[in-house]
Amino acid sequence: MQGLAGYVLRRLLWAPVILLAVSMVTFALGRLAPGDYLDVQAGPRANPETVERIRHELGLDDPVYVQYVRWLGDSLSGDLGQSVIYRGVDVEDVIFPRLWVTVQYNFLVLLLTFAIGIPVGTWAALKRGTLLDPLAIGTFLLFASVPVVVTIPILQWLLAVKFDLLPSGGWDVREFYGIELGILSERVILPVLVLALPSVAGLARYVRAQVLEVMDQDYVRTARAKGLAEFTVVSSYVVRNALLPIITLLGFELAGLLGGSIFLETLLGIPGIGAYAFESIGSRDYDSIMAIVMVGASAFILANLLVDIAYGFIDPRIRLRAQAA
Amino acid sequence: METRRLVLVLTGLAVAVIVVIGVLAAVVAGGGDGGGSSNNPDNGTPTVETSPLPERIEGELRLFGPDPITLDPACASDASSAEYIVEVFSGLVSFDRDLKLIPDIAEKWDLSDDGRVYTFHLRNNVLFHDGSRRVTAGDFKFSMERALNPRTLSTVGEVYLDDIVGAKEFARGETDSVSGIKVVNDNTLEITIDERKEFFLAKLTYPTGYVVDQREVGDATCFEGANWTLKPNGTGPFKLSKWVVGQRMELEANEDYYLDPKPSLAKVTYVLAGGSPLTMYENNEVDLAPVGVNDIERIRDPSESLNKEFVEKESMNVFYIGFNIEEPPFNDPNVRKALAMGLDKETLATVVLKDLVTPAGGILPPGFPGFNEDLQGVPFDKDEARRLLDDAGGPDVLKDVTLLTSGRGASAGPILEAIIAMWEENLGVTIALEQEDFATFLGDLDEGRFQMYDLGWVADYPDPQNFLDIKFQSDSANNETGYSNGEVDGLLEDARTEKNEQTRFRLYQQAEQLIVNDSAWIPLYHSKSNSLIKPYVKNYDLPPFVIPNLRYVTISR
Amino acid sequence: MQYTEAPSEAVYEAQARAVPSFRLLRRLARRRLAIIALAVIAVIYLAGILAPWLAPYSFTKPDFENTFAGPSLDHPFGTDRLGRDMLSRVMWSAQTTVIVSAAAMLTGGLALGVTLGLLSGYAGGRLDNLIMRIGDAFYAVPTILLLIIISATLRKSVENFFRDVEDWTGIDGIVSSGAPSYVLVFGALSLFGWVGMARLVRSQVLALRETDYVLAARAAGASTFRILFRHLLPNVSNIIVVAITLSLGAAAGAEVALTWLGIGIQPPHPSFGVMIFDGSGLTNLRTHPNLLLVPSAVLAALMLSFNLLGDVLTDVLSPRRR
Repeated sequence: MQGLAGYVLRRLLWAPVILLAVSMVTFALGRLAPGDYLDVQAGPRANPETVERIRHELGLDDPVYVQYVRWLGDSLSGDLGQSVIYRGVDVEDVIFPRLWVTVQYNFLVLLLTFAIGIPVGTWAALKRGTLLDPLAIGTFLLFASVPVVVTIPILQWLLAVKFDLLPSGGWDVREFYGIELGILSERVILPVLVLALPSVAGLARYVRAQVLEVMDQDYVRTARAKGLAEFTVVSSYVVRNALLPIITLLGFELAGLLGGSIFLETLLGIPGIGAYAFESIGSRDYDSIMAIVMVGASAFILANLLVDIAYGFIDPRIRLRAQAA
Repeated sequence: METRRLVLVLTGLAVAVIVVIGVLAAVVAGGGDGGGSSNNPDNGTPTVETSPLPERIEGELRLFGPDPITLDPACASDASSAEYIVEVFSGLVSFDRDLKLIPDIAEKWDLSDDGRVYTFHLRNNVLFHDGSRRVTAGDFKFSMERALNPRTLSTVGEVYLDDIVGAKEFARGETDSVSGIKVVNDNTLEITIDERKEFFLAKLTYPTGYVVDQREVGDATCFEGANWTLKPNGTGPFKLSKWVVGQRMELEANEDYYLDPKPSLAKVTYVLAGGSPLTMYENNEVDLAPVGVNDIERIRDPSESLNKEFVEKESMNVFYIGFNIEEPPFNDPNVRKALAMGLDKETLATVVLKDLVTPAGGILPPGFPGFNEDLQGVPFDKDEARRLLDDAGGPDVLKDVTLLTSGRGASAGPILEAIIAMWEENLGVTIALEQEDFATFLGDLDEGRFQMYDLGWVADYPDPQNFLDIKFQSDSANNETGYSNGEVDGLLEDARTEKNEQTRFRLYQQAEQLIVNDSAWIPLYHSKSNSLIKPYVKNYDLPPFVIPNLRYVTISR
Repeated sequence: MQYTEAPSEAVYEAQARAVPSFRLLRRLARRRLAIIALAVIAVIYLAGILAPWLAPYSFTKPDFENTFAGPSLDHPFGTDRLGRDMLSRVMWSAQTTVIVSAAAMLTGGLALGVTLGLLSGYAGGRLDNLIMRIGDAFYAVPTILLLIIISATLRKSVENFFRDVEDWTGIDGIVSSGAPSYVLVFGALSLFGWVGMARLVRSQVLALRETDYVLAARAAGASTFRILFRHLLPNVSNIIVVAITLSLGAAAGAEVALTWLGIGIQPPHPSFGVMIFDGSGLTNLRTHPNLLLVPSAVLAALMLSFNLLGDVLTDVLSPRRR
């Protein structure tokens, strides 16, 4: 396994470099954006001179690199700063509970994606030639194409307003053996639906394509001739070959939680990390912004690494090729 | 590939996912006191739980509330924060619902002949919420000096308290205390101001002059150590019993409240986040709901059952378009006037905003002390507007002009879009819109980096000084437009010290007419409070601006 | 046997013939879905391109007598809250979509992505590593967040830049046409869009690199540039075509999302993002759902068509089929 270990090590060594670069760019951009949180909170009534003086006291008018070094030092020693939106509250006390909320419904989405996507995709492939196939493709495509910004209000309108089947948003929390879970209430249905539809559709499309390829292969025909059930043959091939892209998908999903969650949580009033990220930028809550970006980037790098390891483990050819490169 | 390897990988993946989620859960559940839905009252850490609203209790009022920035009276500069502060804390004086100044913690006061020394006699039965001790004059000195102390980093301390002698010096760090605040004894507080000012007491009704518990606050500043505000020991009619940050705020009645009427509501729950107000109102989840432009037609329809529960009331504010008077093209009053005349405010109010607002002719809103019914606003006159513009150089003068607005999101809102469209129609000019987020917007306003902007101004206290002096006096720190008119300044100066109320108001009205003639602003409209109120909620007079209100409200089923 | 220039050229020509031309069109025609998709795209894009001449009203023209009107001869899609014609607004929004998606494709996806992918895959070693790591860094950042921050920081500078351009060239109305917004939006999209295309091209190049005819070309002394663009490029062109089709759709969607967040096209310029934003909101949905449904339907049709076309093209261009 020496090759794999070396490969992983090399990737791991890049991680802090990437994180540092990300932190510098984000910090610079954030501070260079006009206005700061003092402007927001002082409001139109304050005396600009007083605001300037306070700005100086808080160190907000120091050069950007000075402020960056200060932030770096604090963060590495565990102090992620205080939130500005929720005055007096430590950043980690706001971010982690919110992250938990976002992770919960995304986890459900992931689960549904694989649980439904693979069987449905296989089924669609097996139905090729009948009317159901283009219908299936069309449906998959429709859901996979429309952006989240559009599906949310449409589903809200359909399910909450027109047919009054679901609440129009919000988030309920119930305690379950000491852990707070929000996914045990009907309010989780709308967000999960919004995200799962395109996700399932995307995976189903891919699976269908894979299966179709398989069905034409020689060895499948041989197996069929031998009398093995088509489904067994197909599914074993699918699982084996779909594994790689599934793993990739998993990696990206885990890490890309943040993007779509911004719209979702803002529109549906869910107290997750996306909504908070959006608010933080608007309020120039620098400490929160940095913490969120770093958490997001770390998660992404971790996910990518896991994916790469899995790849290398599954398919030695990839590993060797990467080593050769 | 062998099946064994396949199974191994799949298991490994599943384990990895579960581990990641498990770690996150542990971190979250362990840190931040998020575990368990009971909020430890002594620990000022918030939870992000969003339990469905707990069971309603007898005598509980539920309504929507804005998200406050802070509950520290010395630091709050916005109406959202003030709304809660005035219920949980209190000060020397206050307003009743008729907007009359009433004694609060100060039972009575004497004013010296020269109008500069106020001697406040405090009640001796005002306790802090934890019942531990009385409020004394020393507590007021502490609280006011804290607001002015440069260490506290308050942006509003000076705005409301700088009339006090020695305040400015103290705020600059030149002295150790404010000479104008004197503790005569536990029950007597003496405040000296720099000159006779009729509106000084009104300024004391704002949170900046409220009293806080020094043992609890210590040396917390506006930015550090602020977690005492999550469980404050106030003096107001209500105690803050639970604050789920970003979600919900629960107040309960202060049994020992010292004024009459004492609060009769047992509990008040504010819903801070999300939800559709109308839906929640119809489901009886809340007792009050604001009515927006999309629902107003349905509610106004007499055949709609909710129509009987609809209440509307004037608010003390004005929404306007301001100009940068110091730079072309808006240093030319004719250009400003042309734009003002090219706007059909009536249509804006009736068609675009469905009569949810009142079109504004002047600065002061109707019903406000000093409001002038006979004020001559700038009329809507397309032809005259065109003529004025042509005289000033024609539509080209307005080429490349942008209107600065604050907002996030794809659209600047129907009002601005309608206004820009009107100017296009009536004057043939295309004004570009520049939308910025609020932080950038305020920064630009302060630095004079704008040509036109739109903003609103809500009254802090019912005195014309709060509108006209603060916004239009040449040297005022809050005068963004750069408006400077010597005659207006003179009138404002006189009004500041004039004792006779009628004369004062007349002076302010003269000033207002001049300001309107100069078109430093284009006043657009005064908004109204439009609400649905459940029939069993009594005495909830929609407050025109932030004044303590909840203790008058009763629930009768 | 000696390798000369001639055999490698011949090999190249043979490969080039495999690149679709007639056969593509014939195959496409056999897929009715593809035709419908193409038609939809064409209609919407044409509506956008010809909007200045075809749209009955401007994007902003209000009609206060006639707000929230239902469909009529005058206003086939009805009017909105300010009495603006919905049909015209849809056409003008389509114009924005055309501009932004085409521009984003040309700059980011195509130029940058393809070039970097070719380079990375062919050169290998340290250059490859560097490019891929930079791509990783771009990918690692929560894109949307960074875009919001970038927009807040750079918008003013971009506008000032364009004002300067106006001064130098004497051309007016650049800033007021919304050009700064467009540049910011498709600049942003390109910044994050090149990574996907580059990775795709790179993997294809990796596969092709060791094939005989490339080795032959190298042995014959062809320059790197020539190999990249004359030998490798045509063979990855299949993938690129599909990727472009899909990316056009994605760019349209991304622009809507960015505008919705307030960091894309700025008011009063038209965009589907603006229309959808205006139409959302629970109270709007209850009383006037068509404000949301009309632009959503058009946008969905467009994106669906792009994806459909992409799917069909993949089928058709994939050498293993049939």
